[in-house]
Amino acid sequence: MATILFKGIAARSLTTRLTSSSYYGMRYTTKVSNDTDTHDDFKPTNKVENSGTSLSSIIEQDVKDNPVMIYMKGVPDFPQCGFSSLAVKVLKQYDVPLSARNILQDPEVKDAVKAFSHWPTFPQVFIKGEFIGGSDIVLSMHQSGELKEKLKDVVSKQ
Amino acid sequence: MSFRGTTTLLSRATRIQTKLQSSLSATVIELDDVSYQHAGHAAMKESSEQETHFNLKIVSEKFEGVNLVKRHRMVYEVLDDELKSGLHALSIIAKTPKEITPEVK
Repeated sequence: MATILFKGIAARSLTTRLTSSSYYGMRYTTKVSNDTDTHDDFKPTNKVENSGTSLSSIIEQDVKDNPVMIYMKGVPDFPQCGFSSLAVKVLKQYDVPLSARNILQDPEVKDAVKAFSHWPTFPQVFIKGEFIGGSDIVLSMHQSGELKEKLKDVVSKQ
Repeated sequence: MSFRGTTTLLSRATRIQTKLQSSLSATVIELDDVSYQHAGHAAMKESSEQETHFNLKIVSEKFEGVNLVKRHRMVYEVLDDELKSGLHALSIIAKTPKEITPEVK
């Protein structure tokens, strides 16, 4: 408890913002960044330059906590890029929980994910913490049956 | 005809072809510019750039015994400069000469 309290405002507000604004499966809202009624004091502070470590630990946590994690353009129900759409479509063939972050909404996350996986494009799919690849690879693993194998011990949502 | 300054004037497609050919000794390179399909999408809204999206089919001996992720990484590595200068997405089919015979054309 104490450690959480001492974590510092910047880190906390960043985490909160990420979780509330772009995390699919939880309530997300686009209001945060462009709400003109919000006074500057209440806006989340953007600490890209010196929060590199905390961002990468967020991604580490993401892929650890979510058996199927996708970083994409848009959200699963409204992908904003053909490749992201394809990857989601393939993954939805399987009865597994799908967690996603919208990288269009968070440029910092976008860069952090790229650095984390050493992969230049999106979407990026992680299964059980393992980097799988982009839509081409997901599709090809789907066709070869490898994806089914990878996902077989991922429990479905209830 | 003058070829001065061609490195910058050459289309991205040509540069991609040349780079893949020389670095990965590709035997087949099929490159389609599909940028027009993505011209309006969210990430491209504020960009007037051309040649941002390609479909690539590449066949190389160097992919032998290499898994898909690594094959893609090999391609991305060769095209690093392009990815940093406006190449946005690449759909990659990477095969070895053995894998494309005989039924896949």
